[in-house]
Amino acid sequence: MTIIDTPAAPAPRASHRLTTSKAMVEAIAQEMERDPSVFYLGEDVGAYGGIFSSTTGLLERFGPQRVIDTPISETAFIGLGIGAAVEGMRPIVELMFADFMGVCLDQIYNHMAKIHYESGGNVKVPMVLTTAVGGGYSDGAQHSQCLWGTFAHLPGMKVVVPSTPADAKGLMTSAIRDDNPVIYMFHKGVMGLPWMAKNARSTDDVPEGDYTVPIGKARVAREGSDVTVVTLSLSVHHALDVAESVAGEGIDVEVIDLRSLVPLDREAILTSVGKTGRLVVVDEDYCSFGLSGEVVATVADHDPRMLRVPVQRVAVPDVPIPYAHALEYAVLPRQDRIEKAVRTAVAG
Amino acid sequence: MTTHAAPSTSSPEPGGGFVDPDVRVRLYETMVLCRTYEEAILREYHADKGPGFDIGKGLVPGEMHLSAGQEPVAAGVCAHLTEEDAVTATHRPHHLAIAHGMDLRRMTAEIFGRETGLGRGRGGHMHLFDPATHFSCSGIIAEGYPPALGQAFAFQRRGGGQVAVAVTGEGAANQGGFHESLNLAARWALPVVFVVEDNDWAISVPRSASTAVGSNADRAAAYGIPGDRVEDNDVEGVYDAARRAVARARAGEGPSLIEVHTLRLWGHFEGDAQGYRPELADVSAHDPIPRYEQTLRAGGHLADAAVARIKDAAKERVEDAITYAKNSPVPDPASATSYVFA
Amino acid sequence: MTDVVFPALSKETPDAEGVLATWFVSDGATVTADQLVAEVQVEKVSAEVAAPVGGVVHLLVAEEATVKQGSPIARIE
Repeated sequence: MTIIDTPAAPAPRASHRLTTSKAMVEAIAQEMERDPSVFYLGEDVGAYGGIFSSTTGLLERFGPQRVIDTPISETAFIGLGIGAAVEGMRPIVELMFADFMGVCLDQIYNHMAKIHYESGGNVKVPMVLTTAVGGGYSDGAQHSQCLWGTFAHLPGMKVVVPSTPADAKGLMTSAIRDDNPVIYMFHKGVMGLPWMAKNARSTDDVPEGDYTVPIGKARVAREGSDVTVVTLSLSVHHALDVAESVAGEGIDVEVIDLRSLVPLDREAILTSVGKTGRLVVVDEDYCSFGLSGEVVATVADHDPRMLRVPVQRVAVPDVPIPYAHALEYAVLPRQDRIEKAVRTAVAG
Repeated sequence: MTTHAAPSTSSPEPGGGFVDPDVRVRLYETMVLCRTYEEAILREYHADKGPGFDIGKGLVPGEMHLSAGQEPVAAGVCAHLTEEDAVTATHRPHHLAIAHGMDLRRMTAEIFGRETGLGRGRGGHMHLFDPATHFSCSGIIAEGYPPALGQAFAFQRRGGGQVAVAVTGEGAANQGGFHESLNLAARWALPVVFVVEDNDWAISVPRSASTAVGSNADRAAAYGIPGDRVEDNDVEGVYDAARRAVARARAGEGPSLIEVHTLRLWGHFEGDAQGYRPELADVSAHDPIPRYEQTLRAGGHLADAAVARIKDAAKERVEDAITYAKNSPVPDPASATSYVFA
Repeated sequence: MTDVVFPALSKETPDAEGVLATWFVSDGATVTADQLVAEVQVEKVSAEVAAPVGGVVHLLVAEEATVKQGSPIARIE
């Protein structure tokens, strides 16, 4: 089966260069234009445009009835999103930092995620929960987490994690149109913000007009034959940097951008590892009991003999993320650790 | 008998207190139906748990939180609602579901875990969802308030005058989500009626040990909304307070809070020995239904024939629902992972 | 030939310098009027820069370069 993405439109589309944040906003604006039941609420999403530029310009365009600033009451306003969705609206609710899930997790995992199942499919919750994730700019232990493993672990909600501007737009469109709760997790380091160190691929071509990227399908970011790097979000870009840097030595790295965690594209993982026989998982979430283990289990459950060498997991160790720059960068899964893992995998 | 904790901010009401005789009989009828139902579930629940008490055993396994004694709240509030209005309830939802017009057969089939239940057997008694009556309930304390805000938000946008009634207990009034919800509903003037069923007991902890203020109606003032406390589990007091609160919400004047001092006749859950409850022997003497029946008889609104007719009709409806449930198929285990996603 | 100018974001200090944060077009690209061409930043305030006219754009400064408010960052012909 093919896991290479093709554009939704039959003919090549015109495209323009956007940052990930602007691409995300473009998707939201197009959907709000198309469907009057779509509205966005959260803290500082109005005049401020979102702390990480998730809603820049939307208030001016759609007004305060559709782009709504809330009090600091995550339980109340996420619950409000749930009730509005149950009544047929399509809310996009922003949890400013994924790290804040602690104050409102009940509404998310016991209500938003479970209502459809508990009602035997009779009640739908067509809601998007957007949230900023990730570290690398010294925001400390309570403001730098990814936590996608935790959200993905709890049944009943889809989880998408775009790494590129084009996917940010396409996945947002899919998320809004999906009749299920979708957690849309955007890494601050891929948003292309002028006030944060940018990675070069945060600004890239984005097709014009509306299009969707399917939820539940990974993307081959770089084809290769020697080793599979399965990863997501900002780590895709670091993996591509490493792939480019070792290519000259004849190490051919295949990079799989998962894009969705729920549903997880296990076929894509197995196809790639089936080809290369070597697996490196790069995951900016905590190492134990999470996403990286799930990727490894996918292979082990299917056929561990696919692996010619032990798996390398490059993740944040099971520690709170430190504040001091040198300490933070010792725990993040950056290019140096990824390269070391790739070399270990191909040497073995 | 009502006490007003905060001055009403809505337009002047006509003289309260008088309830139309037809309405009074209907309030009684609703309460009888609720109680008949709970007595039947009590019977069915305990029928096959023995010897001893194995909570996971029998046709209705799991926790069971019955609402006997709290019928005045359901009857008094839901009398002002139609099926277009929303109600979110708690782990003790049956009286509210019934008073709000839920289909008894599908409700009972769900409680019995059958394929024909409202949730195809996947929710059970604490997770009854009925889109036809905009009814939902949740087992997490206070967490039914926030989704009610969302339903009210959608109603506000549509402009049809629908309201959302959000019900919790007095124990929930100390949970964060309660306070967040009152503030947000007040700030956005959402058409919500917050109802607090103060039955004195949060499982085994009395309100006097948990709550820093004497009345949660006083807390409404902290959020700038009207608060009423109804004493004595008085169904007509509830009816009166709810009339005002629902009217406010429908008129776009925003949320209100009604606290009702009600009575949990039985345990927190079935199997609760209630050793912590000193007044247990006295409790049944305060049963609100025989008391209201007496009031209506004394007022000439009810006599033996009518009472018998009402009780028989309730019994017939309830037993029909139970028979329907018992005759319904059990869900196929192979379908256990179905309906996670739409 | 039309200049594309770094906007004056800080009115109190017109001489303030800012950063050319992001180019959305490459040197020599054809742009249309009002097309987004750059994002700039002075201290904490950022702004989008649109092409004042259509034509072929020539970039005068690199990404991350420090630029004075009011000075040209590109030319369109």
